[in-house]
Amino acid sequence: MEEEAVYVIVGGGIGGVSCAEALSIITPDESVILVTASPTVKAVTNVVPLTKMAAKFDVEERSVQEMSGSIPSLKVIEDRIVRLDPERCSVHTESGKIVRYKKLCLATGASPRLIGGACTFVIGIRDTDSVENFRKRIEQSRRVMVVGNGGIATEIVHEVRGVDIVWAIKDNHISATFIDPGAAQFFQSALKKEGATEEKTYVKRLRYKTTGDSGSGGGAALGPDWHSKVNLHGPLEDSGITVEYCCEVLEIRETPGKEWPVEVELTNKKVYGVDFIISATGVVPNVEIPGAKFEKMDDGGIKVDWKLETSIGGIFAAGDACSAGWDLAAHWFQMRLWTQARHMGAYVARAMFHTLHGEELYQDFAFEMFTHVTKFFGMKVVLLGLFNGQRLDNDYELMVRVTRGVEYVKLVIKDGRLQGAVLIGETDLEEMCENLILNQLDLTDFGEDLLNPDIDIEDYFD
Amino acid sequence: MVVRQYNEELQYLEKISPTCWKIKKGFQPNMNVEGVFYVNERLEKLMFDELRNACRPGMVGGFLPGVKQIANVAALPGIVGRSVGLPDVHSGYGFAIGNMAAFDMNDPKSVVSPGGVGFDINCGVRLLRTNLYEKDVLPVKEQLSQSLFDHIPVGVGSKGIIPMNAKDMEEALEMGMDWSLREGYVWAEDKEHCEEYGRMLNADPTKVSMRAKKRGLPQLGTLGAGNHYAEIQVVDEIYDKWAASKMGIEQTGQVCVMIHSGSRGFGHQVATDALVAMEKAMKRDNIETNDRQLACARINSVEGQDYLKGMAAAANFAWVNRSSMTFLTRQAFAKQFKTTPDDLDMHVIYDVSHNIAKVEEHIVDGKQKTLLVHRKGSTRAFPPHHPLIPVDYQLTGQPVLIGGTMGTCSYVLTGTEQGMRETFGSTCHGAGRALSRAKSRRNLDYKDVLDALEKMGISIRVASPKLVMEEAPESYKNVTDVVNTCHAAGISKKAIKLRPIAVIKG
Repeated sequence: MEEEAVYVIVGGGIGGVSCAEALSIITPDESVILVTASPTVKAVTNVVPLTKMAAKFDVEERSVQEMSGSIPSLKVIEDRIVRLDPERCSVHTESGKIVRYKKLCLATGASPRLIGGACTFVIGIRDTDSVENFRKRIEQSRRVMVVGNGGIATEIVHEVRGVDIVWAIKDNHISATFIDPGAAQFFQSALKKEGATEEKTYVKRLRYKTTGDSGSGGGAALGPDWHSKVNLHGPLEDSGITVEYCCEVLEIRETPGKEWPVEVELTNKKVYGVDFIISATGVVPNVEIPGAKFEKMDDGGIKVDWKLETSIGGIFAAGDACSAGWDLAAHWFQMRLWTQARHMGAYVARAMFHTLHGEELYQDFAFEMFTHVTKFFGMKVVLLGLFNGQRLDNDYELMVRVTRGVEYVKLVIKDGRLQGAVLIGETDLEEMCENLILNQLDLTDFGEDLLNPDIDIEDYFD
Repeated sequence: MVVRQYNEELQYLEKISPTCWKIKKGFQPNMNVEGVFYVNERLEKLMFDELRNACRPGMVGGFLPGVKQIANVAALPGIVGRSVGLPDVHSGYGFAIGNMAAFDMNDPKSVVSPGGVGFDINCGVRLLRTNLYEKDVLPVKEQLSQSLFDHIPVGVGSKGIIPMNAKDMEEALEMGMDWSLREGYVWAEDKEHCEEYGRMLNADPTKVSMRAKKRGLPQLGTLGAGNHYAEIQVVDEIYDKWAASKMGIEQTGQVCVMIHSGSRGFGHQVATDALVAMEKAMKRDNIETNDRQLACARINSVEGQDYLKGMAAAANFAWVNRSSMTFLTRQAFAKQFKTTPDDLDMHVIYDVSHNIAKVEEHIVDGKQKTLLVHRKGSTRAFPPHHPLIPVDYQLTGQPVLIGGTMGTCSYVLTGTEQGMRETFGSTCHGAGRALSRAKSRRNLDYKDVLDALEKMGISIRVASPKLVMEEAPESYKNVTDVVNTCHAAGISKKAIKLRPIAVIKG
């Protein structure tokens, strides 16, 4: 069977769906086909812009039918891609369909990089199916190990109750992917879960519903706040968190018949018996599609240029599957985050449209400065620019302001100019920091007065 | 900044009327003209506290008090009349926000300064009226707020309601509201009720960097964040029945919509690019200022002209943005009330700019002069019979829209003859604040965090309060005080007070 559309998108995650939605706005009369392996797709909702560039948003699951119904020019096909044929501008699916395109966007996402090979006591959390699996197992567990130091690991440690957690991280402070040791210290009291066992938000928790058994893997990635829909509660009344710093997993041994079903040995020689292990150590781009030899980058992603076009003409890539192969702007770098999947999805739609119709394209300004908004330990976290001094080779200074339990403000400054910021809590400084990073205004004269706690300067630079 | 004792500083300040203080020459070095600022009793206290604070030993920090900034502007080359601080004046980059200053176009030494316009070029306010009343809107205000800026309507297509691609952007920058009109998003009569008819003719998109254009384009088709918002308001009080009726406001309870927006990141980039270029030009032309933030260029220099053309493009862009929001507002109301925007009488009452520099004719020392008037956080307020205000307002004077901060009340004033004489036809723009008085106390606590950070081997500076402030935590220059001061000083006249019933973030 043959299908045909002007634009074909592969992948029902945030990148693919954002691309489909953007196309429906840019060019509502041109046909779009979205091919997704999972019966549900992810759509961004409740976008709250915090600055001109940074926004927080939720991710919602939609059924394939709902998605097709919402956009007249869009057809969603639930199927798996087995082969690409760039010569004939077509993709072949598992069920034997051939889908022809004028422009193709690969938004095939990434898979969790699992430690311990095929050990059944190791789970990754990446898509909604794995969350359901996770929930079931946590209910019957007394002690689990979380391996990894990124966003998902941090959220799990914060959200899971009633289970002893051993958190193994390779850095000397928690959540190192996103925050510095100072911010980690700021969060220490939250980590102890002091008096926070029953916050109001838990009462409102919705039970997660799966839409039937979707089979093995390949589903779309989770959205932010994925845990808010799942009851992640273990059986223990009194539970705690142990953080093992500066270590990695040396060996995982299944120990049937012993007190714990599995044992983990860390590189610091400690051995923990646990019910299971949650591997949250990053992702590997899903790029193995027979039929096309894409140029790749060192991290395994498909190399794309500033238009998000791959090394094969007419084929674009967005989200976790691709790697930024253009000359990056001074304050932007790639991280495989929902924020960037959304930016790329929307932008690749424009890039495909403009390329097809020969119109001039400006690169989206989202690629001028890194932005990410998330929530750690229940607090708003806004990350802007080179928020951890990335690429500055330790040649910068920090300016900080901290009010315990309320706000943590960290500015990264080089040569008197703002390069990045970490803003935790309700600081009202997002917009100002964004502008100061983009404007590269010389702030030398202000000195530490910039964060003078007695001065509100939100509109000083307006 | 000159460091003197507070009581010595006071020698340079003189109260010349119940609502007006003069800043004499010598208060800051090289003042070409005197300064002036308008305050009522409460604002006066805030103004002087701010100065007293800055005079304490060890207080020579990065932030100058408003009164010092007004005086530094008085030292710029080519300034005429007086450097004027409006009642909502507060510290800003270079010029204080709420400072206006005029420069003689025929003096070759006269300058234009991006700091005198502000970064959010043509940040401004537009007011739409409706023939609805509070009781009509209250039950559906949630739905209205929801639908207003929820989504760019599907079907609007690539010819988006906001410029979404390179070609649209160029055209919008050049055409301002004429672009919105051509695309069918505004009514022809909307233009009549905008300053400059919603289009500055000297706009030149070729004088604008690619980065500015990219920065102005919306990322994902939203109208933006921050100061982009709209409020559904109801008329709370009418002070001038006649002027109000000329604006189509008949009685209290009538529903209006106030739209706040500017030029997005575009204006920021235009201003930033200009500051960099002007720093070089200042060395070349030997221009010296009291404050590095007051970077400027001769009006007739390449840098000065390029900035004015870029600024005009940014102004046009801001009008397009306000027009897009107008369109969405009309659509949302029409949909909610199942009628047309026409039948809801959703006319633009007026549209004002708060951050802009314009060429205007004024009388200085009895002579008519062509001036470049910088208004930063200040609103044009032309008197009755002025040729640049629309026919509908020829007898009332120009409507002046004063937005409070989000969620507080707003006002409509009218321009006066006295304002034309005293402040080059300028008045306040909204609320303000005093320096060194944060809204909320922050109890800083660093120790653990610093210990953790120090291990990184990066130099760290920490913010600390310079001194414990005395009582009076009130730091806010509230919009009612500000407006009442302008009214009492006679630089504009109160017509209508509005109170918000819903705030809609873009």
